[in-house]
Parts: sequence; C-alpha cells; structure tokens
Amino acid sequence: MESEQSGLRLRRQQALEALRRTATSRRPSLARPQFLIALIIVFGALAFLGYNAFKASSMYYLSVGELLARGDAAYGEELRVSGKVLEGTIQRGPEANAIRFTVTDGDGTTVPVVYQGVVPDTFQEGGEVVVEGGLSPEGVFQATTLLAKCPSKYEPKESGQG
Amino acid sequence: MPDLGHAALLTGFVIAAYTAVASFVSARGRVGELWLSARNGVYAAFGLTTIASGALLYGLLTHDFRIKYVAEYTSRSQSPLYNFAAWWAGLEGSLLFWAWLLSLFAVIVLIQSRRNNRELIPYVSAVTMALLAYFLGMMGFAMNPFETLPVAPADGMGLNPLLDNPGMLFHPTFLYMGYVGFTIPFAFAIAALMSGRLSTDWIRASRRWTLFAWFALGLGNLFGAQWAYTVLGWGGYWGWDPVENASFMPWLVGTAFLHSVMIQERRGMLKVWNILLIIIAFSLCLFGTMVTRSGILSSVHSFSSGSAGPLFLALLTAVAAGSLGLLWLRLPALRSENQLDSLVSRESSFLLNNLLLVGAAFAIFWGSVFPLLSEAVRGVKTTVGPPFFKEVTGPIFLALLLLMGICPLIGWRKASAENLARNFLFPSGVGVTTGILLFALGMRPLFAALAFAVLAFVAASILLEFYRGVRARRRSRGENYAIAVPRLIWANKPRYGGYIVHIGVILIALGVVGSQMFATNVEATVKPGETIQIRNYVLTYQGLTSYTEGSKEIVAATLDVQRGGQSLGNIVASKSFAANREEPRTDVAIRSDPREDLYTILSGWSEDGSATFKVLINPLVMWIWVGGAVLLLGTAIAFWPDARAEERLPVTERVPAKGMRPSHA
Repeated sequence: MESEQSGLRLRRQQALEALRRTATSRRPSLARPQFLIALIIVFGALAFLGYNAFKASSMYYLSVGELLARGDAAYGEELRVSGKVLEGTIQRGPEANAIRFTVTDGDGTTVPVVYQGVVPDTFQEGGEVVVEGGLSPEGVFQATTLLAKCPSKYEPKESGQG
Repeated sequence: MPDLGHAALLTGFVIAAYTAVASFVSARGRVGELWLSARNGVYAAFGLTTIASGALLYGLLTHDFRIKYVAEYTSRSQSPLYNFAAWWAGLEGSLLFWAWLLSLFAVIVLIQSRRNNRELIPYVSAVTMALLAYFLGMMGFAMNPFETLPVAPADGMGLNPLLDNPGMLFHPTFLYMGYVGFTIPFAFAIAALMSGRLSTDWIRASRRWTLFAWFALGLGNLFGAQWAYTVLGWGGYWGWDPVENASFMPWLVGTAFLHSVMIQERRGMLKVWNILLIIIAFSLCLFGTMVTRSGILSSVHSFSSGSAGPLFLALLTAVAAGSLGLLWLRLPALRSENQLDSLVSRESSFLLNNLLLVGAAFAIFWGSVFPLLSEAVRGVKTTVGPPFFKEVTGPIFLALLLLMGICPLIGWRKASAENLARNFLFPSGVGVTTGILLFALGMRPLFAALAFAVLAFVAASILLEFYRGVRARRRSRGENYAIAVPRLIWANKPRYGGYIVHIGVILIALGVVGSQMFATNVEATVKPGETIQIRNYVLTYQGLTSYTEGSKEIVAATLDVQRGGQSLGNIVASKSFAANREEPRTDVAIRSDPREDLYTILSGWSEDGSATFKVLINPLVMWIWVGGAVLLLGTAIAFWPDARAEERLPVTERVPAKGMRPSHA
C-alpha cells in the first residue's frame, strides 16, 4: 500500500515534469513530418474519391425551358429535368410498364417523356416530377429515373397549386 | 383556446428573453439573486411552452377547426393517435414541438445540476433560453400555430395517407429529440468558452446529453429508413435525398465528437477540435431543420414551406458566427496538454476516425448543396445523384469500420510491436480467412468480399476484447462465463456499452452491404395463374380483390410464394385509395428472413385481371433493424450511471496535471 502510494506520487511528478517540458519546448505535434505525411495522404485520398465520384455522377439540372434552350447540345447528355406533368397527358403502354406523358414549365414549353418502370404513388397529373435520362434525336426525353413530388404531399389538397 | 395558446407563446418569448439576459448577467457579475430569478424564469418558460403545446393539442384532439393548423392536419375520421401526431406534421406545430423539447431539456439540465457545475449552468441557461426565445418569437410573430380561419370548416383535411403509419409517431419525434438534444452539449461548450472553465468539466457534464442526442438522431434516421422501406414502395430505405442527408450529417459529426472527447478526457488533447465539432454538429442540426422546412434544396420530401427559410438562415448565421468568434477569442487558453506520441497509437486512430467522419459529412454536405453553389457560380444548376454519395462514402465507411476494429487493439500513447503482434493475430486471421473464403466461393465484386472481411475482422476484434475481460474475471474471481459476461459489462458500462454499439453498427453495415451489392429485381405483368421467377423464388399470381375498409378503398393482389420448390404461403400486395385524396398508397408485401427480404410491389392492373408487379430481393436487410435494436441496447448500457465514471470526478479535480494519469483501461 505504502509503495503503491509513493509510486503514484512519482508518476504524478513525472507527469508534471512532462507537462513543463512540453510547455517550454513546444512544437505542434501535427506539424511533425510523420503526421503531416499521414494527413496529406488522408486528405488526398478523400479529395480523389470526391473528385472521381463527382465526375462520374454530376449532371445538369434543368427546367423544360432550359432543356429546350440547350438545343443540340442537349443530345447525348445525361440530364435531370424538372417540371409539372401536363394534365391529361399520362398514357400507359403499349409496352408493358411503359408510361408516356408531357412535362411542362407551366408557360407553354413542353417536352414529351417516356419512362419504363414502376411509378411512385405521388406521380399524378398536374404533379411535380423530376426525370433523369437523355433527350433522343426525335426530341423525346427517355427517362431512366422518375421521381415525383406531389404539391399536396404534406399539405392539404385544396391549398396545393397543382 | 387559440388565444390562450398564442398568449402563452408571447409571454414565453418575453420570459425566455429575460431569462437569457438575466442568466448571462448573473454569471458575469456572479449575482446570486439574479440567478435565482433566472432559474425561475427557466421553469416559467417551460410552463408557458407546455401551456401553448397543451392548447394546440387540445385543439387537435377536439377538432377545433377554427384553428387553421388543426383544419389542415387533422380530420374527424383520423384516429386520435394521428391527430396527436399532427403536432409535428406541419411547420408551425413542429416549431412548437422543438421549442417544447428545448424548454424541457433546459429544465432537466437545471434539475440535474443542482449541486455541481455552478459556474457553467447560468451560461448554459443563457444559451438555451436565447434559442428558446428565438423559436417562441418566430411562432409568436411570424408562424403562429394558432392562426384562426374566418369560418371553421366542417371537417379538416387530415394527414396525407403516406403519413398514416407508425413511422409518423417515431421518425420525426426521434429526429427532433436528436436535433434539440445537441443544443445541450453545444450550450455547455459555449458556457465553457464564456466562463473560461475550459477543462473537461463541460464535456463530462454533457456526456450523457451528447450520447442521448446522437442516439436519438441515429434511431430517428433508422425509423425513417424503415418507414420509407415499408411504405414508399421503391424497394430502398435510403435515397440520398437532401432532407435525409441533412439529418445524417449532424449524426456523423456527433459520432466524431463522441470519440474525440474521449481523447480530451484521457489526454487533454484536441480541445479546440472538440469545441469546433460540437459547434459544427449543432449548426448542422439547424441547417437540417432549415433544409427540411424551407425547401431551398430540391427534395422529394416537399414539406410545406413559408417564411421559415430566412429566419432559420439568420439564426444559423448568428449561431455559427457567434460561437466561432468566441472560440477564436479563447484560442490561447485552449492549448493542448499533450502531444501525439506516435503514429501507431490509439490517439492517432481516433484522430483518423474523426477526419474520416468529418470528411464523409463534408462530402455529403458538398453533394447536397452543390446545385445551389453551381447555380450561384456558373448560372447552371448541376446535381449529383446517389452514385456520387455511394462512391464517396462507401470507401470512407469501410475505412471507418476497419478503424473500429483496429482501435481497441492499439494501446494509448505508443503501441509496441509486440503489443500489435499479440493483439492483431486473431482478428486479422478471422478477417483474412473470411475474405479469401468468400472470394474463393465466387463472391463478386471484390469490394463486397472485402467489406465482409472487414466486418469479420471488427467482430473478431470486439469478441477478443470481451474474451480478455471475461478471462481476467475468471482468473481473479473464479466466475463462470454466464456470470462473468454481464458483470464485465456492468463494471465498465461506457466502455462495454460502446463495444455493443459497435456490434450494432457491424450488423447495420452487414445489412447495408448485402442489400446494396446483391439486390436484384424484376418487373412483370401477369395474368392469374401465371408465375414470376426471381432467383430461386417462384411467385404465382392468384388474383385481384377489391374491398372498402373505413373510408379507404383497397385493391389487393394475392400471390403464392415458393422458394426452391418449398411453399412459403401467400403474400398480399395492395394499393389503397383514401376518399379525399387523389394519390394511392402502396402497401408492399415484405417477406423477411435473416437471409433476405422478398419485396413485392403491386404497381398496376387492368380490366382483364392481369396485374403488374415489381419484385425485389434485398439480401440481409433484416440485420439493419436488428442492428438498430443492438445499438439501442448498447447506448442504454453506456448511458446508465456508472459508479466508476462517477468516482473519477473528484480525483481529476485534485490532480494538477489533468489527463496525464495512467489510463483506467
């Protein structure tokens, strides 16, 4: 017991000394070469990851008007387009699961869209929609992804603008 | 009732503002009497916020449709439980819910610290009450939940049918508890900066609040994932939508904070970093609320928006600028007591864990706000989709998991080669064997085999920790395994609770890797009697029925399921249509077992009785939910009052060189 206590005291003393030492001859530990190199490697790896992923998956996010304004430049690009589903344009078929509709900005500019797949519950006439895909030479937007955002989703129907 | 509610909000605003000022002045000038008055102010603010909440709830439950909010989010046919949940369904109500939680937490902090942290608490109250005043002011003057309609409608609109799910009870409440919970450690950090008491007091005093907020945020996200999985019918549980990201980022930074404070407690390092982390975490909580409630980022979660955006932006700016300025002023007092001794030490591995967590949060932040940035800078909106988030965070999370296994195996300060060899042999053996075995058995892509190898390594590393603790108890006290395991956990709850949380994370990762890398799906239109095949499942379409249930009309398809020739019974996938709504609601048929989920969506039908289905197989998804439960258990253990942690308090007060004591591990 006795020796344990003195051991403890000794350790405290050592600790104090260490504290004094570091206080006088301070060199920020992160500036030492080994840590600096480690940090650079980590940040470099993170930046590389981010850059690569960004290059692979960034795409323009356009309204229908902006899409049409791009003209020929829009062909062959991977694009994301948002707008409203024009009332009365949703058609199913003829292919199984295919759905055709027209997206509008609300000011008369429209683009026809074709999509194959299951549509979310919130997809409906007059609802907001986001499609990802590309414009075919015929001017039809071939959507590979369809996200629907219903204006009345979290709001009562009557107050929705759609 | 609406008048009473609004009056309570306005009075609460005045009281909270007074209390914030009084707390601050009393702390600055050490005016005891003023502090007594400020204390009462905290209780009064809580009382008034509770009265306002009570008035709103009374309106929600008694169908008082004069109140606009009540008319918008409740209806006579909606069950009382969901009428209650309407409290946090809309913008104004959720602000009130936030304010009520904040006032409640402020009171709990007061009660908890009747005897300790006297120097910090007045500042803590000043911060919480200032924030409360801001929220009450927002409601009192701009977004009044008690706004009345000129004519009360006969019935309310009710919630969207998609919200008619138990998820609505748990997902928002837990997220809000997390968001508001982070206010408390943030307030303690600000209190430490203001008072100049920059030792570990503020960390110790707020440790359990941090744990609580972190856990609530995590669980809130899991509840949301499960809700999306069962209701929305797209087969996934996480879509990297800005609103989801907004609640994930503070969780990541909070995780970094939980780990880095351990280094400050042990070694007196990273003081500035810790304060910075909690400021970022709390700012991200405010950012999350702003994104959710203002619609500045394009999201499929379109919540009602209003004037909330600018008001939140102002608050966020004030909080970030104010706290960073304060930190800047205190920088000279926040010098580290120790240095990193070696690159191969537990401190270094914690530091790397912090960098990766914050890096992941930063990448997600970047991806989420990029459309705004690119529009501002280049005039074109550019977005990044889920592939961006997956590609960036996948490797980061894998590295984090690896660290989770490495960290307990490395000693503090400097690990010796001998220490490393002894500790790493078993876990690396298990990990490498698993990886090679899976690869040899034909698992592709390589990343998946690698991920499972890492998970096996981490699991083995944690098992080793438990085994060593148990072996020591067996030797010293002769306990058998059944007794030694619970006693070991109970003897050091923060540590072993933490390991159990790690096991939960491994299980969640198992589910995520399985479902992200090995999911498959098929879409088919079939006539009654025809079959759909997916992997070794055969689904035979039996037919369509339609019936009414309450005010809902339901169309249901029945399918017979066989796996590998063995019958598993029938499943029912349906869509329901509420009377007053246009959009249907999909009720997915999920047949879940530990190996995989069979997930069947009824997507459409035609007059001739044929129906269109999307069928998915999502491997290992069940483990995500099991992992959530384990996380709950581990957090509860770590949260439980720990005798050893309490005993440590007075000792550190007396020892001059804090954090220099040999570790208790």
